[in-house]
Amino acid sequence: MEQKTLSVHLCGGCEISSSIDLEALAQIPEGAECSTHPCLCNDEGVGSLKSAIKSGANALVIAACSPRYKTDEFTFDKCFVERVNLRELVAWSHEPNDEDTQMMAEDYLRMGLVRARKAELPEPFDIPIDKTILVVGAGTTGIEAATQAARAGYEVILVEKNSDAGGWRRKFSRVFPDKPPYGQLTETNLSEQIAEIEQEERITLYTSSVVAGISGQPGQFDVDIRTNGDVNRVRVGAIVQATGWEPYDANKLTHLGYTDSADVVTNVEMEEMLAENELKRPSDGKPIKTVVFVQCAGSRDKEHLPYCSTVCCRVTMKQALRARELHPDLQAVVLYKDIRTPGQYEDLYRKAQDDGGILFTKGDVQSVKNGTDGSLSVDVRDTLLGEQIRLDADLVVLATGMVPVSADGEANRRYQDAQAVIEGGSTGAKLVAAQKTVAELEPYVSESILNLDYRQGRDTPVLKHRFPDSHFICFPFESRRTGIYNAGAMRAPGDTASSRSDGAGAALKAIQTVELAAQGKAVHPRWEDMSYPDFFFQRCTQCKRCTEECPFGVLDEDEKGTPQLNPTRCRRCGICLGACPERVISFKDYSIDIVSSMIKSVEIPDEFDEKPRLLGFICENDAYPALDTAGLKRLKHSPYIRFIPVRCLGSVNIVWIADAFSRGFDGVLLVGCKSGDDYQCHFIKGSELMGTRSDNVREKLTQLALEEERVRIEELSITEYDRLPEIINSFAEEIEEIGMNPFKGF
Amino acid sequence: MSEATAIQPDLEFAQEIVDSGGEDVRKCFQCATCSVVCALSPEERPFPRKEMIWTQWGLKDRLFSDPDIWLCHNCNDCSVHCPRGAHPGDVLAILRKLAVAHYSVPGFLAGWVNRPAMLPLMALIPGLLLALAVILRDPIASTFGLATHHGEGMQYANLFPHWLLIGFFSFFLGLAVLLAGVGAIRFWRAMKNADRTADRIESTNSLGSSFITVVKDILTHQRFSKCTSLAGRRLAHLTAFYGFLALFLVSGWAVIVLYVINPLAETPLPYPFPFLDPAKLFANVGALALVVGCVIAIRDRLKDRSETGRSTDFDWMFLWLLFFVGITGILTEALRFAQAQTPGYIIYFIHLILAFMLLIYLPYSKFAHLVYRTVALVYAEHSGRGIDNRSEQPAQ
Ligand code: SF4
Ligand code: SF4
Ligand code: SF4
Ligand code: SF4
Repeated sequence: MEQKTLSVHLCGGCEISSSIDLEALAQIPEGAECSTHPCLCNDEGVGSLKSAIKSGANALVIAACSPRYKTDEFTFDKCFVERVNLRELVAWSHEPNDEDTQMMAEDYLRMGLVRARKAELPEPFDIPIDKTILVVGAGTTGIEAATQAARAGYEVILVEKNSDAGGWRRKFSRVFPDKPPYGQLTETNLSEQIAEIEQEERITLYTSSVVAGISGQPGQFDVDIRTNGDVNRVRVGAIVQATGWEPYDANKLTHLGYTDSADVVTNVEMEEMLAENELKRPSDGKPIKTVVFVQCAGSRDKEHLPYCSTVCCRVTMKQALRARELHPDLQAVVLYKDIRTPGQYEDLYRKAQDDGGILFTKGDVQSVKNGTDGSLSVDVRDTLLGEQIRLDADLVVLATGMVPVSADGEANRRYQDAQAVIEGGSTGAKLVAAQKTVAELEPYVSESILNLDYRQGRDTPVLKHRFPDSHFICFPFESRRTGIYNAGAMRAPGDTASSRSDGAGAALKAIQTVELAAQGKAVHPRWEDMSYPDFFFQRCTQCKRCTEECPFGVLDEDEKGTPQLNPTRCRRCGICLGACPERVISFKDYSIDIVSSMIKSVEIPDEFDEKPRLLGFICENDAYPALDTAGLKRLKHSPYIRFIPVRCLGSVNIVWIADAFSRGFDGVLLVGCKSGDDYQCHFIKGSELMGTRSDNVREKLTQLALEEERVRIEELSITEYDRLPEIINSFAEEIEEIGMNPFKGF
Repeated sequence: MSEATAIQPDLEFAQEIVDSGGEDVRKCFQCATCSVVCALSPEERPFPRKEMIWTQWGLKDRLFSDPDIWLCHNCNDCSVHCPRGAHPGDVLAILRKLAVAHYSVPGFLAGWVNRPAMLPLMALIPGLLLALAVILRDPIASTFGLATHHGEGMQYANLFPHWLLIGFFSFFLGLAVLLAGVGAIRFWRAMKNADRTADRIESTNSLGSSFITVVKDILTHQRFSKCTSLAGRRLAHLTAFYGFLALFLVSGWAVIVLYVINPLAETPLPYPFPFLDPAKLFANVGALALVVGCVIAIRDRLKDRSETGRSTDFDWMFLWLLFFVGITGILTEALRFAQAQTPGYIIYFIHLILAFMLLIYLPYSKFAHLVYRTVALVYAEHSGRGIDNRSEQPAQ
């Protein structure tokens, strides 16, 4: 470790000097230079920091505003900077010139000093990075992703399992437009787009090909592409999965007569019929007078697809309009639950409504049965006509929804593991558990698509309804495998326009990944972070907690079970650090030791002062910004708490909690992002993991004869800043009620 | 609701409605805003959304046997608030027009009466009939010993003796009433039938009391007063209505004076009534009211469609006719006082043609609303649907 020369700078601006006695505060740093400046962020202030560096300082402690502000001013090359948040956390949220406020400022400064002494400047890893982008699936999305990546100057490998690129649109004779006028059906224009990918030198298209295997990490993925039995190995840097969708299996829609009559078809089959430019009754070739479209066939239905695929209404409008173009005498009746034509597609709806041969009407289709003289009879309930009605039809089109072409990597892996247990001849409880797992997962297993050689499974994890697990709004396109991005209808059901914008978006994400990896930097959300986990393997007991708990499948295992780091897969969340019971894992600027030392640096008043001390671990992603906002709004909170920002609630190692209590803290508050189905945790499982670990913590507390209420976990979204003071204060009150930690002073 | 009703959309009939001026019906996406804002619509099975759906489906029988299209007073509130521009108020107006044609006998006359191109022919018929009456006047008079001379100077009775005029109009009016009655009965039966099929006849009020309730409402224009978007329409209707009523009553009085009172009285009442005779005054005020009502209505209908709804030939022909009947009537009287014989006789002749067109074509023109709306209101009241069961209903 390089010798540290500290230089401490206190800022008096932004009401700090009117609330905190800076002269007294300047006494805290011992053995380091300490100066005060009325406004550190102006040219003169920054100048003073620069001159401190010039005269030999290699670590600055800047006690001023929140580390989330003035980052440009307070970043210096090759110099560690520790920001002590005097402004939002102390001056703006506490009584000015109060004894407790002063003590708080002192403690924050002490913690900053410790961290500045112990932490090191991260050094980026340096491995060769290949910047080629692999796009899996050459449908609408894949073609767009490939085209965009190539236009941006990147080599692209495009893999398509069918013999031609183009995907579903190959089957469509008309599409609804993806630009104005939205009421006008258009040709697919697919050939132009295919011509572009064929002519583009940077794009290599593999048709009739699948991905047989992927190993490695971003910048270093080795991909086996199997084309008719031949396997080609290529190296790529990042991957866009654009495997698209398939129609929901209409055979399951028995009540809608799909299995009973050839004249009941899906919208995909209707598409094929329309491509022939002539409609005939499939059963007997007779002309068609009435077509009934059944919307939401199996969609928004708990028994089938609970979600809305967003396109079926528009597809039906398109098909009805096209059918009327081909046969002006034909009548189309559209039976819908709700018409959903997002955005400008209202124009398409109006256009279809304006057509005298198309009737839109609300109703719940009960059944489709064979009627007399070869026609079908459709029973409809809950119509606005106020009664149950029966309609005759020559053709019934079921508007079935879209199912993502994805594979549930985690389920597949658990299924295979359980299978292995059964085949391995286990007996007793183990066998029963394995059999149960197999039975439970049966409906979710499928063939792998990406064939990732990852310890956590061969495909990216999925969330509800087999759509990939990535936060829809906050982190679009991201999967839980760094460098692998989901796009198009496999990410969320959508139309051509949304698929294309997805393709472009995912391509950009892929490009970011390879570019940042080449600089040794993390991707979103710890964008630009250069630290990465270090393993002190001598102490590793191969317990596999880190490899199991890493949400991003970063860690593989060798035969003995020792974790193997793939640094470019890592998002630097620190969850492995929080998981490891042996304190094996650390980052240069974030480790068990650094945080423990910070905890120990806080002055604990003795029992008789009646000044309790609370420790807060607060997640940097949403909760800490909320705390800043609370300060900005001048919301006051208890002066007894000391916050330590953490990378993720999941990165809190329970050793720290133990340290806090043995140091004499009276309570520990953990504030992180929301967990659950609609999680907001930036590292997906962090706050959830903390919930599980806290069970161990409670056990530990009981062992120490401490009340379990002394540890509290709270989940917060970034907008709930106003709840924070209330959370802190109520916790402080509760702790005061419970009383002081008996370990104080030991 | 156990058995499903077999139903097939009749998009051709829907097209007919579209072609008659209800083209916006297709825009309706069945949100029911219209039924909510309509101050006249009952809580149960409210209109006009129901009618919008039926129209989209082309359910002719339901539409024509629906009293609700006549419960609407075309105030336009619904069209103003419809988020889709489907103009439900206009659609109902078109439906009423088609319903008149549907029920009237012979049906083709509705097509003739309401088409501007047919106007010359439709005027020619009464013109010829009246001319024929004049030609036959003297032969008839001499055969039956009736008077043809009614005094010196300019006397309209010298052109059309009272017996001729009254006989002529009574005959045709009787015919018109008969034909309108047939239409009304067909309509009544259709409504009853539809309700019976749907199993919902309640018959809470006796026919007599229902009729009285409706007449009261007509006299007060109570329902009409709930319309907020087009308050002027009520005023116009009220004025023209009472004007017409006054004229109608005075005409009746004249017949009574001429054929009941005067033959019995020792000193016959003077006829034509002198200018200051209360009956004459009443008639003159009525004629003025009729013309003023028409002027308000015409001005109102000339405004933008978004305010007043669409006006079709069906509306215009009736309105102008009414207006010119009033104008020619006033002119006729004025010319009599001026003793201008030739123009007087010409105008009088025209006035009679117009009056014929107004009264005798009633079963086919917009004037038929007098019959159908009354019948529908009575039916609604009689069948328990009620004509006034939404007391407080702001239109916003
Ligand atoms: S848990 Fe987080 S920090 Fe650890 S290896 Fe996984 S991604 Fe990286
Ligand atoms: S959690 Fe720690 S001890 Fe367990 S395998 Fe990972 S590094 Fe080794
Ligand atoms: S007519 Fe207009 S207001 Fe009435 S249901 Fe249709 S769209 Fe709604
Ligand atoms: S025009 Fe007026 S009365 Fe007629 S349905 Fe519309 S709101 Fe009701």
